Amino acid sequence: MFMGLAAEKYDRQYSDRQLLRRMATYFAPYRGRLIRLTLIILAITAIGLVSPLLIARGIDLVGAQPSVGAIVALCVGLLALSVINWACNLMRRRMTARLIADVIGQMRNDAFRATIHHDMAFFDEFQSGKVIARITNDTQELSQVTVLISDLISQFTILIVLVGVLFTISWPLTLALLVMAPVVVFFGWAFRRVARMVTRSGFRVIAEVNSAIQEAVAGIRVAKTFRQEQAIYDRFRQINRRSYEVNLRRGFVLSNVFPTLNAMAGLGTAVMTYVGGLAAIGGTVSVGAWYLFIISLEQFWFPMTNIASFWSQIQGGLSACERIFALIDAESSVKQIEDPRSKVQKGDAQSSTPNLRLRGEIEFRSVSFRYNEQQQVLRDFSLRIAPGESVALVGHTGAGKSSIIKLITRFYEFQGGQILIDGRDIRTFDLVEYRRQLGLVSQSPFLFNDTVMNNIRYARPDLSDDMVEAVARRIGDGEWVAALPNGLLTQVGERGQHLSMGQRQLVALARVLAQRPPIFILDEATASVDPFTEKQIQAALNLILADSTSILIAHRLSTVKSVDRIIVLDRGRIIEEGDHATLMARGGHYASLYDTYFRHQSADFNAEMYQKLKA
Amino acid sequence: MTSEFSVEREWHSDRRSPARWIFSHIWRYKVYILGILIGALGNAGGAAVMPLLVGQAFNAVVAQPPDGAALGLIAVLIVLSQIARAILQLGRNFSSEIIGQRIERDARDELYTSLIGKSMSFHDRQSIGDIMARATNDVREVNLLMNPGVNLVVGSAAFLLFPLIIGPRIHPQLIAVPLFYVAAYAVAVAYYLRKLAPATERVRRAFGRMNATLAESIEGIETVKGAAQEGREIARFRGAVDAWRAAAVGQGDVESLYLPSLILGVTMALGLLHSLLLYHAGAINVGDVVAYNGVLMFLQFPTFATQFAYPQVSSGLASARRILELMNAETLLDENKGGYAGEMRGDVTFEHVTFSYGQGERPALQDVTISVKAGQTVAIVGQTGAGKSTLTKMINRIYDVDAGRVCVDGVDVRAWDLDALRRQISTIEQDVFLFSRTIAENIKFGRPDATQAEIEQAAKAAQAHEFILSFKDGYNTIVGERGVTLSGGQRQRIAIARAFLADPRILILDDSTSAIDSATEDLIQQAMFRVAQGRTTFLITHRLSQIRWADLIVVLKQGRVVACGSHDELMRTSKDYRAIFAGDEERPKKTAAQPVVSRANGQVS
Ligand SMILES: Nc1ncnc2c1ncn2[C@@H]1O[C@H](COP(=O)(O)OP(=O)(O)OP(=O)(O)O)[C@@H](O)[C@H]1O
Ligand SMILES: Nc1ncnc2c1ncn2[C@@H]1O[C@H](COP(=O)(O)OP(=O)(O)OP(=O)(O)O)[C@@H](O)[C@H]1O
Ligand SMILES: [Mg+2]
Repeated sequence: MFMGLAAEKYDRQYSDRQLLRRMATYFAPYRGRLIRLTLIILAITAIGLVSPLLIARGIDLVGAQPSVGAIVALCVGLLALSVINWACNLMRRRMTARLIADVIGQMRNDAFRATIHHDMAFFDEFQSGKVIARITNDTQELSQVTVLISDLISQFTILIVLVGVLFTISWPLTLALLVMAPVVVFFGWAFRRVARMVTRSGFRVIAEVNSAIQEAVAGIRVAKTFRQEQAIYDRFRQINRRSYEVNLRRGFVLSNVFPTLNAMAGLGTAVMTYVGGLAAIGGTVSVGAWYLFIISLEQFWFPMTNIASFWSQIQGGLSACERIFALIDAESSVKQIEDPRSKVQKGDAQSSTPNLRLRGEIEFRSVSFRYNEQQQVLRDFSLRIAPGESVALVGHTGAGKSSIIKLITRFYEFQGGQILIDGRDIRTFDLVEYRRQLGLVSQSPFLFNDTVMNNIRYARPDLSDDMVEAVARRIGDGEWVAALPNGLLTQVGERGQHLSMGQRQLVALARVLAQRPPIFILDEATASVDPFTEKQIQAALNLILADSTSILIAHRLSTVKSVDRIIVLDRGRIIEEGDHATLMARGGHYASLYDTYFRHQSADFNAEMYQKLKA
Repeated sequence: MTSEFSVEREWHSDRRSPARWIFSHIWRYKVYILGILIGALGNAGGAAVMPLLVGQAFNAVVAQPPDGAALGLIAVLIVLSQIARAILQLGRNFSSEIIGQRIERDARDELYTSLIGKSMSFHDRQSIGDIMARATNDVREVNLLMNPGVNLVVGSAAFLLFPLIIGPRIHPQLIAVPLFYVAAYAVAVAYYLRKLAPATERVRRAFGRMNATLAESIEGIETVKGAAQEGREIARFRGAVDAWRAAAVGQGDVESLYLPSLILGVTMALGLLHSLLLYHAGAINVGDVVAYNGVLMFLQFPTFATQFAYPQVSSGLASARRILELMNAETLLDENKGGYAGEMRGDVTFEHVTFSYGQGERPALQDVTISVKAGQTVAIVGQTGAGKSTLTKMINRIYDVDAGRVCVDGVDVRAWDLDALRRQISTIEQDVFLFSRTIAENIKFGRPDATQAEIEQAAKAAQAHEFILSFKDGYNTIVGERGVTLSGGQRQRIAIARAFLADPRILILDDSTSAIDSATEDLIQQAMFRVAQGRTTFLITHRLSQIRWADLIVVLKQGRVVACGSHDELMRTSKDYRAIFAGDEERPKKTAAQPVVSRANGQVS
């Protein structure tokens, strides 16, 4: 029925009870407020019930020829009541607004906290636009739930009081009425399945829209250069149209509820009028009681239909919760396990992780790894990097160089073998603590929409401005900073778009220089900078590489010449290793690779190549 | 309104103010407005007819002898009237639902079209998260403004009329209190709306910020994790959530100070007083007192309904303002439909071009003059941040020059039809962006009608065919967001294939092999060279191997052209050029005799 609006893989179904119970945990911290709110609601309900009595009393007075003083007193009483009522309502709104904001805020924080700890495979697979929609959009629905529940309290109170009143008017008629009431409730209940289904697809489609917009805006530059705006627009239109259809259907289904219930209430009134009327004619009930009863019926149906509709109205909230909880509960494929050693040392106040400073030994033991069933990336891969060693990974594109790094940073789970850091299983680290020890410049550097300065100190928020400047100066004496429009205070724009690619890489490099971690990982960190700047970077790096473990990936082989060991990869296997001189002497893969690279830089070769190409 | 992209539409909205804009959208669906009005009146009528029927029933029962048949008839009438009421109610709900959803659809469509029509200098300034919030949630708010907002306002207005009509029929004086109520209500609502406007606007803004914060953290997740700054991002998001919370509570506080409900209390008391006093004076009887006070009860519905409806309306208006803010933002470029649209030869000249990204910023390009003949290959070199990428963006008008001019085929690019200009120029971006669709769709992005054979041919030339086939789903493999599930070199090769397939007259290669190893590059280079033949090519690269086959090398330094010429000339004459490329000349000790690349798949032999 809702074609293409599939659930995400991590979506699951919870029973209503599970959902409600878990939803309740969000309200639980505000128990005190809930009680106060309930009391206020009860007060409001009571006033609502008393005011008509007061008016009725006034009308009774009329018969007794009251004095003007009594009339005024009565009206003042009524006025006082409504002022109290207003004040109570004011408090109710204020409290509800706070409750809603707190609960939604809490849920958003929880959802975000859970999301940020999901592994990278999660973000590869699920479009961020959809994830974002869950966290900010779906949570919004909780306000509806809060209002519905607090209304429910007052409706129930009114209903109970009214039934009491009706009983005093005529108990046989009341009993007859109470036999009919469940039918109405059942009808409201029957709506809930459809309501759940349509609200669920409503959320899905909005996530879809969100994601389409995100991608289009992110890719707008490509769309413009290829002049494919129309294609992008057509695609969006389809999704937007579907969103329209799904939402319309949702609206239609939900807007059936009240008219249907009202019609049923009308039917109920008609039956009571007829049956009660006959009874009155027959003398079983008094005519006066019957008449009063029918007149009060209208007031009975109002809370009754509201209560009956509750289950269908709350389905939106339940679907939203279901989606949010699924996001929170999504299984991470990267699983950390308890460190067996820290169990032994349970006596210590904390486990072994805090203040950990790694020596920087890295060991892969016959690791096998794949991202998905598409292809195996590493097979039986073994490698040991000694503390303080600098290692370069080279090899053709797609060989698995970046993947090795992503395993060291524990962004992904590997399927077989072991990875040891300082001799300790990588699975046993506290990930945040562990990653603090890594300095990573990834292939496509990401900058936050802030100043260059703040981006440099991203991993070390405690650095002073002067210290950041000192770090920036380490590369080519800060010449690159001078070239920025506003020096270190330049705003880098979304994802760093206001900087040139090379500048982005420089900022990312400065970021890890500031961090001074025991393990450096540079994945093509200089691919987009010119050779001159690269030499400056190299000089800055050499200082660091000397005393920390470092892993470099570079296609420009001039940058890897000086490392301790070069590892040549081919399709996830090591085919050669050794330092530059040894490998060159060996005349194997690396030698020829280097040779190609070198010849690319040489005038003779290029002239020759040019001739060949022209021919 | 200038725009780089537009669609033909038979309707136009009025963008002068939020209210006009919304109204111009609603007005397109007049029929449904009628549905809402009829439904609202029917609902009120249905409510009013009930007591009458019950009264008739009473008469039937107390009649002598009791009239059972009439009682049955009345019961049937009650059922019929309530069913009719339900149907009308349904009609009203459906109508307002349709209007609301259509407005959402149309408004989003309009915003989206406007967004893709905006120039890059606009997009540079926006955060995606905030745009997303506007295009999804704010647009939704406009829908809610209509339904339940306006729907409730209109629906409840009918109930305001009853006391005004019925009161004076009981006694002329009895119009006073209802009149007082309606007047006070109008004033109070106006005040309420005025207070609400800034409050709802704050909420919408805070929501946008929160969404932007969230989007950024998630986009940069790898960096966040790599730097182990999850805690900080959580705190940052919490800050944004707290700001939203404060705004939402602020709106709640404004909503709580809803005066009409207090006025209603006063009205009820005054009504009772007035009617009792009239009775006291003997002007009306008991029944009148009952009836009058009963009619005043009708005021409850509009009073309470609008407490919720107006914040919705106000929120919708605030959202509309935010949407208009985007749509009405000035954008400098326009499609220039009907401009020059000839077949492109490929001569490109820069005449004293100066350009800066922001006002008052140091120009990224200064007084650049270059002349390139059709079919030539130009290499642009320079240090990081010298303005190389910027220079190429002037050609296909991603940005417009501030001074001087850029001509293609002797025609100022601003005089070209934008569509014709961009269609004939292809760029391989430095910062490759892939859509999260299949690989095939990504390759044929610039030419959606390309056949599978053509796609494969382009992929082969870009040395991408091999690795694509190594995936289980081959060309139908769906790449992750922005291409994250591919290696850097693979992404670049897909971008190269994309540009090859587009078959442009001017090809711009911006550092397009930076993530590719030399061996693979060797292979791609042959294809690139072939592709470059017969078309104007701009090459930005740091690799001498590519620079070498350029007919012309332009050296940029801090936005200025400092030298022009061939490699050998420049090595001799240009200090800046030497600074970049000297030093890599050291010979390896051993040189392999035969060519390194022997297999066509980019493997190292
Ligand atoms: N996130 C991912 N999900 C699925 N597959 C991936 C992902 N990242 C990389 N791959 C695949 O794994 C293989 C190895 O990729 P990797 O990024 O390790 O290559 P690389 O050696 O770093 O190449 P390059 O030099 O081009 O960066 C490639 O075939 C790639 O398509
Ligand atoms: N969108 C933008 N908004 C503001 N400033 C920008 C923008 N893009 C680039 N700049 C600035 O303009 C200058 C030139 O940038 P450009 O991208 O042209 O450099 P480049 O020569 O291509 O460098 P690289 O070799 O690193 O790619 C830089 O100082 C950069 O900070
Ligand atoms: Mg550039």
